[in-house]
Amino acid sequence: MTKIIVPIGPQHPLLKEPVSFQLTVEGEHVTESAMRLGYVHRGIERLCQERTYVQNIHLLERICGICSHVHTTTFCQGVEALLGVKLPSRALYLRALLCELERIHSHLLWLGVLALNIGFDTIFMYAWHDREVVLDIMEDLSGGRVSHAVNIVGGVRFDLTDDRRVTLLRQLNGLEEQVRILLGVVEHEQTLQARTRNVGRLSLEQIRRYCVVGPVARASGLDVDLRRDMPRPPYDGLTFQVPVRQEGDVWARTLVRMLETVESVHLCRQMLDLLPPGPVSTRVSRRVPAGEVVSRTEAPRGEVVYYIRSDGSDKPARVKVRTPTLTNLITLPSQLENVNMADVSVVLSGVDLCIACADR
Amino acid sequence: MGFSLRSIVYLLPQVWRVLRAGPLTVQFPFAPPELQEGYRGQVVVDAARCRGCSLCVRDCPAFALELEREGREEYRLIYHPDRCAYCGQCELSCQFGAIRLSNTFTRATADRDTLTRVLVDRRPSPPPLDE
Repeated sequence: MTKIIVPIGPQHPLLKEPVSFQLTVEGEHVTESAMRLGYVHRGIERLCQERTYVQNIHLLERICGICSHVHTTTFCQGVEALLGVKLPSRALYLRALLCELERIHSHLLWLGVLALNIGFDTIFMYAWHDREVVLDIMEDLSGGRVSHAVNIVGGVRFDLTDDRRVTLLRQLNGLEEQVRILLGVVEHEQTLQARTRNVGRLSLEQIRRYCVVGPVARASGLDVDLRRDMPRPPYDGLTFQVPVRQEGDVWARTLVRMLETVESVHLCRQMLDLLPPGPVSTRVSRRVPAGEVVSRTEAPRGEVVYYIRSDGSDKPARVKVRTPTLTNLITLPSQLENVNMADVSVVLSGVDLCIACADR
Repeated sequence: MGFSLRSIVYLLPQVWRVLRAGPLTVQFPFAPPELQEGYRGQVVVDAARCRGCSLCVRDCPAFALELEREGREEYRLIYHPDRCAYCGQCELSCQFGAIRLSNTFTRATADRDTLTRVLVDRRPSPPPLDE
């Protein structure tokens, strides 16, 4: 049979960010795939060495437009460990609150993208409509919809009044109702299941071999979540479930993400209920003692790892970022093998790629 | 057919909610935009409070602030909104509460040089012309 090479990207309606795939197609099935990265490489890690720790927070926030807060949280966490400062409890709660809101926002955005790629425009519209509620909350808390700029080394920059806390709880109740409707759709809707079940399947063995993280790993039966496995405050005092499925296909990933969204709403509510009084930040030195640290956080797409080395000045000697997309991307060639051409969009969406994160 | 109908039922509450909410479109730019109270917009300075310490310039991650110093008390603080990341670091760094981010934003322009503004001008005024 004749082989045809189908290029997808770097500019393609299917992709939201620039990445290039070359699919070798025989008939209707993909037999081989090659991937090319680096179209949005901005040299952020190198730029970090030129800027002070204070400036780097804002630079690292721009690695990703979706999980921007997680990046600054991981960086600040590492720098605070080097400085040896203990953060006020209220600061930790407020930081984690924004992390969870970001997870809700990320998963709803992803559901919209998946729905759009499989031609289910209704869910795309509804998911993004619900996401707007979270964006409004985050804008109200931080002053920015995408770049929140709330983290500083030594705490956070915003505080929550009692009135605002009550309003927030009410908004979260409404949000949970809407998320549950979307969850019902994922669980029961026939067309969505027809497009996503048994597509892009990854076995537990493959997940372990590729070191896959986040919801993609949890959808294949790997029960791993940094918030539970390596609990830092405030997560050590909160109760939550880590949804795990065994199927390993795109449908399981969709379900895991939607169940996580519901859990995140619960976590936000718990944090608001238990929010301790006190200051939201503590003063720290601009110069960081020499040393190195590895900081890890559970981002919406999986585990983010930061390596920071300090030489005792006010600028880091090295910052290395390992984003979850980088590990999850490696699974794509095996996922795309023998996939029907019409399912390529589903497979690519299922991983929740963030190319800006991977390229940095 | 039965399966399809059951699928639709799960969406009905959402359809009802959206119909009840009505249109959400804002008539911008023909009506003022709805901005939150804490929205981080253009940088403004209370010139009376500014001491020209340049802490804001030092911490600005986007190099949007510039201090032209001519003497100990004579300086000019220049703001480049085209470079600004609207992160609010200047507001945080200022020890005198002089600089803050306002609730307004920069409109689009075809010429970025027209955006640059002098926020504080403490240069000596030029001597009067001889008559």
